[in-house]
Amino acid sequence: MKVIGKRIRKVDGLELVTGRAKFAGDYKFPGMVYGAVKRAGVPAGRITGIDVEAAREMSGVIDVLLAKDIPGPNLIGVLPPFDQPLLAADEIRYAGESVVLIIAETAEIARQAASLVSVSIDAYVPILTVEDALAPDARKIHERGNITCAHKLIKGEVKPAFEVADVIVEGTYETSFQEHAYLEPETVCAVPGRRITLYASCQSPFHLRGHIAANLNVPASSVRIVQAVTGGSFGGKDDVATEIGALACIAAQRLNRPVMIAHERKESIIGSNLRHAAHVTLKTGAMKNGRIVAREITVVLDGGAYASESPFVTMKTLIHSAGPYHIENIQVESSTVYTNKTYCGAFRGFGVPQVTFASESQIDELADKLGMDRLEIRRINGLKAGDANASGQVYQESVGLQETIEEIAAQPALGKREDSSDRYLYGTGYACVAQGISNGAEGIDITGASVQMSQDGSVLVGIGLTELGQGSRTVWAQIVAEILGIEIDRVSVRLVDTDTVHDSGPTVASRSTTVGGMAVQKAAGEVKNSLLSMAGLMMQTDGENIELRDGFAILKADDSARIPISDVATAAYWTGFPLMNLAFSKAPEANYDHDTHQGTIYIAYNYGTHRMDVRVDKITGKVEVLNHFASHDVGKVINPLGLEGQIEGASLIGYGFAHMERIKYVDGIIQNANFADYALPSIKDRIPTVSIAVEDHNPTGPFGAKGVGEPPVAAAGAVFANAISDAVGFRFTKLPITRENILDAVQRGNHG
Amino acid sequence: MLIQFTCNGKAVQLEAEPEARVIDVLRETLALTGTKEGCGRGECGACTILLDGIPVNACLLLAGKIAGREIMTIEGIAGADGSLHPIQEAFLDKGAVQCGFCTPGMVLTTKALLDENATPEVGEIEEALSGNLCRCTGYGKIVEGVLEASRRLTHGSNHSGEVT
Repeated sequence: MKVIGKRIRKVDGLELVTGRAKFAGDYKFPGMVYGAVKRAGVPAGRITGIDVEAAREMSGVIDVLLAKDIPGPNLIGVLPPFDQPLLAADEIRYAGESVVLIIAETAEIARQAASLVSVSIDAYVPILTVEDALAPDARKIHERGNITCAHKLIKGEVKPAFEVADVIVEGTYETSFQEHAYLEPETVCAVPGRRITLYASCQSPFHLRGHIAANLNVPASSVRIVQAVTGGSFGGKDDVATEIGALACIAAQRLNRPVMIAHERKESIIGSNLRHAAHVTLKTGAMKNGRIVAREITVVLDGGAYASESPFVTMKTLIHSAGPYHIENIQVESSTVYTNKTYCGAFRGFGVPQVTFASESQIDELADKLGMDRLEIRRINGLKAGDANASGQVYQESVGLQETIEEIAAQPALGKREDSSDRYLYGTGYACVAQGISNGAEGIDITGASVQMSQDGSVLVGIGLTELGQGSRTVWAQIVAEILGIEIDRVSVRLVDTDTVHDSGPTVASRSTTVGGMAVQKAAGEVKNSLLSMAGLMMQTDGENIELRDGFAILKADDSARIPISDVATAAYWTGFPLMNLAFSKAPEANYDHDTHQGTIYIAYNYGTHRMDVRVDKITGKVEVLNHFASHDVGKVINPLGLEGQIEGASLIGYGFAHMERIKYVDGIIQNANFADYALPSIKDRIPTVSIAVEDHNPTGPFGAKGVGEPPVAAAGAVFANAISDAVGFRFTKLPITRENILDAVQRGNHG
Repeated sequence: MLIQFTCNGKAVQLEAEPEARVIDVLRETLALTGTKEGCGRGECGACTILLDGIPVNACLLLAGKIAGREIMTIEGIAGADGSLHPIQEAFLDKGAVQCGFCTPGMVLTTKALLDENATPEVGEIEEALSGNLCRCTGYGKIVEGVLEASRRLTHGSNHSGEVT
């Protein structure tokens, strides 16, 4: 193949390296004004009064909006019943909650005015832990209670299986809240009119459109969302983009002036969703030969104040918490609980990093108890084609887990440990992961994509999925260039504009390459058919005797008989063969029992195995990652450069999750809402990730490809925990495992 | 006050409050929006510009401090004919760019480094770029991009396009 599988640089990269790319904050319109919100500042209570007079009187303040000024239901969310207000009307459920919107001539004035707003709150004792939220006499954070959602998975029967098991290991594992920390804070810009336009840094424009229209109380067709170039998202620019997008649109329509709302970094941390903190209780039973016969798991997620994506994240933990293993008996209960903290939702990995850490830690403990090699136990239990996974789904193809294990086994062992100073501890960890691709149990999965060729032979692709930095546009362009036999730089991918592209569902679940790519492939295939038919007429042969290659329609039997594709396209236009096609890719619908979660759920899984070698300084606790091998079954590599970028970037997020990052709360208030106090990995913290692709052809993806955006997060987090535990000789059960935790364990080990 | 300085090789004269932030002067007054604001506290490096060749955070720099001095922003690094700087080419070829929001600051910090030290060691690159955060790439490809830029600048070649 000419384009697929090649190291193609980002098709939209030129705009980014030159600074010409237009991010939401770079838009400017005549008469534009700026919004800022007043936040509650206390985690729980009832609003008894709001005094906005001082703010209103400030020079430069144009308007002040309260909950009553929202034309629609003043609710957003992912699943009905939507539970999250744009502006709190009476109840305060977390400290970052927006209460009042100020519109002013400058952003600075808006912020100053917001600080002058006085919100009187009859404070409640905040509910800050899952235990407190679940106490029988707990105050209800929402009318419907404190359980956001709860699901069960039942495969086989765990009780008798545990009775026959030779060994049983049990444990509990905890993880902390993690912040997305995309470099671009959330920003939107609304331009009023008969139809309102919102330029937004966002992940799922059609989701925004629906909620914004509802809260404006207008039909969806009255709202146009244009995705600005978006500076990272990782799951994070959905709810919050909806929130500030709706506020900006409401204010813009009210004032008939363009309105920009841009979060400051602090707001981006306290006022938008985080990764759920998790509490996982896990029990595994196995036979002496290493075969796991049963796993029983309880997952409780702290979801904070609002549901956001919690119902889906909960379901994902349910299906993924037993790991990528062939186990006959599995029982999982997963739930998310409301607390008076910043709401949690989608974050790259979507619940899988938390449960994978728990599961993979316990697989190591099981191996140790059995006296078995830690990679061997994964090999013995790892899924193969034809095995039923945790939801009972059997894949006959593209189950490449075992190949990823063998790739990892084939890597050179940790080299000679040269120092004799006794200052360092060395360790090696392994972790396996599987992550479902497509919406799966979360809903019907459809993508629409258009491919349109001009008479000059260049192509414009339209799709409703968003480029967020991950390189999807490049992947789609490569698919089109390959099919139509043209150079990659002849292909452009449209800006996502809800007026001009088809709704393609949300940009989530590692589905852009797989489901999005299939739609693009189909649409390009139809254009190819037109070109072949036309070229057949021109060459007086059947279209099937012709191929599209190197910018030409070429007679297969005679390489010298060729016509430039631009000539074929021009002729096709004048002949009336369509050069534009809109095609759909619809994943087979999930079909499963809702009580047991047994059935068909995802169209495919990405499988992976990681190995990490670490060196721990016994005096300082400092960790050096010596090697990190990350092998993933991606079906087919579309672009090695992009693939490595996804695996490396996701791995460092997983490493941050496992080693450095933690949102710190005191009495329900986030203490580290800035990059000085929230320890985001810097270039000095980078890890030497080596990406190893396994290509186990996936029949449900373009050219056999599968997505890879998320699974390395989970594997990298888990593998770090296992490597450190191996080095220190102590099983860490809480993430992050910070330098202080490590030093503490080393010192306790020395003294004990 | 009236402030005169050089921006991307051109003499600039404008009216600004001496305590105005340079990032605002650049973005609002001069419409040079390639300089990005990620934190407003000098913690992320997205707003890095070069002040007399030294990388500084434009969000912490006050307009009064740039009088008579020379600024370079991302808009000023490409050739007069629009051709990309070798650092920009190398970043694209090595996959050092994902979402691109940190990229202008990364490119300018790299320029300051390579102007000072044409063939830096990996450790020197990490030291130089330690104030520039990136959440997308994991940084490995940024280091590769800097090394590649160093090679191209010292060997005078500037291949663009596909690299295998």
